Amino acid sequence: MTDVTTTSARPKAGEKPLGARLRSAGKYVFLSIVALLSIGPLYFMVVSATNTTQDVLASSMLPGSNLIANWQSLTEFQDVGSAMYHSTLNAVATTVLALVVCSIAGYGFEVYHSPNKDRLMWVLMLAMMIPFAATMIPLFQLFADFGLINSTWAVVLPAISTPLLILLFRQSARSFPHEIIEAARIDGLKEVSIFFRMFVPTMKPTYAAAAVITFMTAWNNFLWPKVILVNPDYQTMPMLISNFTGGYVVDYGALMLAVLITSLPTIIIFFVLQRSFVAGFTGVVK
Amino acid sequence: MSTMTPATMLKRPERNKGGAKRQLSPAAKRRSLTGWAFLIPAAVLIGVMMFWPMFQALILSFQTGRGTNLDWADPLLFNYDRMLDDDVFRLTMTNTLLYLVIQVPIMLISALVLANILNNPRLRWKSFWRTAIFVPAAISLVSYSLVFRTIFATDGLVNDFLLWVGFIDLPINWLGETGTARLVIILGLLWRWTGFNVIFYLAALQNIDPTTLEAAKMDGAGPIRTFFSVTIPQMKPMILLTVIMSTNGTIQMFDESYNLTRGGPANTTMTMSHYLYEVSFQNNPNFGYGAALSYVILIIVAVLAAIQMKVGDKRD
Amino acid sequence: MTKFRTGMTMAAAATLAITLSACSSSDGGDSADPSGDTGGGEGGNTLTVWAWDPAFNIYAMEEAEKVYQQEHPDFTLDIQEVTWEDLQPRLTTLAQSQEFGELPDIFLMQNNAFQKNAINYPDLFTDITDLGIGLEEFPEGVVAYSTVDGANYGVPFDSGTAINALRTDIIGEAGYTVDDFTDVTWSEFIAMGEEVLAATGTPMLSGIAGEPDTILMMLQSAGQSMFDAEGNPTITDNAALDASIEVYNEMVDKGIYLEVNSWDEYIGTIVNGGVAGTINGVWISGSIQTAEDQAGNWAVTNLPAIEAVDGATHFSANGGSSWAISSNADVELAADFLATTFAGSTEFYDTILPSAGAVANWIPAGDSDVYNQPVDFFGGQPIYADVISFGAGVPANNTGAYYYEARDAVGVAITQIKGGTDPAAALDEAQATVEFAMS
Repeated sequence: MTDVTTTSARPKAGEKPLGARLRSAGKYVFLSIVALLSIGPLYFMVVSATNTTQDVLASSMLPGSNLIANWQSLTEFQDVGSAMYHSTLNAVATTVLALVVCSIAGYGFEVYHSPNKDRLMWVLMLAMMIPFAATMIPLFQLFADFGLINSTWAVVLPAISTPLLILLFRQSARSFPHEIIEAARIDGLKEVSIFFRMFVPTMKPTYAAAAVITFMTAWNNFLWPKVILVNPDYQTMPMLISNFTGGYVVDYGALMLAVLITSLPTIIIFFVLQRSFVAGFTGVVK
Repeated sequence: MSTMTPATMLKRPERNKGGAKRQLSPAAKRRSLTGWAFLIPAAVLIGVMMFWPMFQALILSFQTGRGTNLDWADPLLFNYDRMLDDDVFRLTMTNTLLYLVIQVPIMLISALVLANILNNPRLRWKSFWRTAIFVPAAISLVSYSLVFRTIFATDGLVNDFLLWVGFIDLPINWLGETGTARLVIILGLLWRWTGFNVIFYLAALQNIDPTTLEAAKMDGAGPIRTFFSVTIPQMKPMILLTVIMSTNGTIQMFDESYNLTRGGPANTTMTMSHYLYEVSFQNNPNFGYGAALSYVILIIVAVLAAIQMKVGDKRD
Repeated sequence: MTKFRTGMTMAAAATLAITLSACSSSDGGDSADPSGDTGGGEGGNTLTVWAWDPAFNIYAMEEAEKVYQQEHPDFTLDIQEVTWEDLQPRLTTLAQSQEFGELPDIFLMQNNAFQKNAINYPDLFTDITDLGIGLEEFPEGVVAYSTVDGANYGVPFDSGTAINALRTDIIGEAGYTVDDFTDVTWSEFIAMGEEVLAATGTPMLSGIAGEPDTILMMLQSAGQSMFDAEGNPTITDNAALDASIEVYNEMVDKGIYLEVNSWDEYIGTIVNGGVAGTINGVWISGSIQTAEDQAGNWAVTNLPAIEAVDGATHFSANGGSSWAISSNADVELAADFLATTFAGSTEFYDTILPSAGAVANWIPAGDSDVYNQPVDFFGGQPIYADVISFGAGVPANNTGAYYYEARDAVGVAITQIKGGTDPAAALDEAQATVEFAMS
């Protein structure tokens, strides 16, 4: 862990005084500790998915050979396929609809702004303060009235429109050059077409950032699906693994495997879109 | 610079100011209608899915009765009055606020430091460090709660490690004692959310005007001084946003309390949302009282957000 | 540029299509589901069931299905695993929203929670009093769990009769046999426990910290409960409860009762040789028998009695559950199914007993030979016959609708007492908490 030599592009770095070098070394030690603490539990999770319950409880840090047995005991009593399907369906549907609804609203608030629309924006922002717990019971009754318990709609609808996403897209619309809109209008493009053909392609990083946040929130959502998805056939992955510890005997190997499977989609999405993610929140248009 | 925050939201850029005041031409009118059409789906959804249930909850909080037999409370504020005698709710409120005041500052300061280190263009293996620090943010809350529950078990990884190092002689019953159980929740929250906030701060750091940093250097300011007097002020809107988000998230926390400690021992790690769930669905169901509890949570969130925005909006 | 947009549009379209098809398929599923509107063609032969333990009550249901199929070849069960922690909130939400159409035909209910649900949400249940199910063939005390105002709502399933299960090899190292632990008092039990601990380093018992199951079993063995006959909490000024807590704390202090944090840790201490025994409902024998390497080293006897209380017995109960027919059921079929299996088949109980350790409440089952057969795992002891004889001596327990609130409150009080709070003050607070919940 040294930082003594640096690339030739930065000739000055090689001449750092001792103090700076120590500071630099300290920085790498610090980062290493943070990285270890960060990855440690995940490593344990991955390794445990291949171990027997005894090995998991003995805190074995070496990969075992029990992966297939764990998979078998996991799928023996749990319908993992169905839970993955419902989790994916809920998360993808939420993400796609949220991106469409919130981006067009964010764009609308910025590009066609008027005092009344600004006022509406303020009111919508107030919703950010509403804790979910406060709306849960009436929301449940609302969906029950419409016969939507156990439906994908019941999980998706409350998660589509969020103040945070509208705000994010409004900010990105603010950095979108209005000259482009004017030029497009002169070319006779319809307003809707301007949004889809000009704004959407330019704002890919923002969409990526919004997609990551929304997908992860939707995938990880636990309390609301737990309340609204009454029929066990509709249970999602987080519900499945939470119920795992409710049985009389816990198979830790299988539990860790289930935990790993639950985490994989979000990890993949996150890292595929990681770069655009930071860029999206930066709001820089490239 | 276009960092989005509730604070900057208010301040519309100059370039749009003139247009709105003029008499609207037919084309502009049409456009205004198009704009409304763009907003309506999002606004209606928020209205129906958040404001309407919130209003319903208010009505519900004035009603009492078990199960489905609900009646108007007499007096109307009975549920709120009853809350004053609810020791368990007071305990869960204390727990939640404790998580808030301990965990949020530690997390955000660590995130700021890490983001600053990661932002250094001369840092080596940058993508490795980033990956390592971000990855917990991709893990589901239920998943990590169960992993933490396993590694902090009496015969779990943490005790095995501490015994092996010789740090302790007897295993610590992490989840069985109030202090350590709360500590495990806080450690879990730090693990899961610090990297998440680093992302936001990295984004904010990209927006810092490099000339201001150069100027500070020219004035002879060291890196730490520069960080506090140049970097931090420019990140203020983003910091405000993360403070509000973290506060909100902590006050509403449910998954960790439910899955990691089950609220125990003796309810001393239970959060307000977890208690609300117990009151509404697990115990003899009392939806009216549950709704009243939820309004108290709402008021706490709103007051904290208002204070934070007030403090955050002060310009130096 | 266009690629991205096309991708987005396609993804949106695809998702909507999937979403819609999923929703419509869910509708389809509901109408095919017998728990929906009955009367549909095939629906008449299938029952949906909610139960929670694949190795125990779900297994029993599967066996009951086989038994019923002998007479009704077209009959099938759709058994869905729902943990108890999830089943209760589900019932609450369904009742609250009046969505009874989502209920299964039959669901399992903890005996201790039966009163609460039947009183709060009678709409969830079908009154089975006059449906020809032979409830008189169950012990009165067990049927009482699911009886509200004279109406029966449940068919008792497994017995919660408490057993004192011991590792003969471990207590043997301290020179004791099972007989030494039979018909003893708690102070004798503690004295022997200290010897066992000194000789082997192994505590006698284990249990989950903050969960008062052991204490409540002691309480019930003394003929007392947390509520009086009118359903008022009696947590304060309850001499039997005070004595039980005292015994419990003494055992914890002396290291002969190991407190753990979770159910699986508790099971772990039993199957991994971490304790010399356990006291719990007889259903625990299923978990004990998973430790195949300990076969032959276990024995079962009755519970120690609390000497400080007059009339204290050696018998108690913990847990136990009953089947309820929902208000959404194909009542005729469900009632006939339960009447011919859980309330009418010796053959059925003979199958589930040895393989799952499910001791019946159904009295005629006890006459079967299977109950008198020696169990190799328990050193050739006919433990199930013994359990049936224990069951006859269990004092009735008054659970009421607020049993779980009281149980939680007592659990909190015990944790506080352990942390140094004055016992009387902690129990006063527990009483206040329960009274608050009932107010």
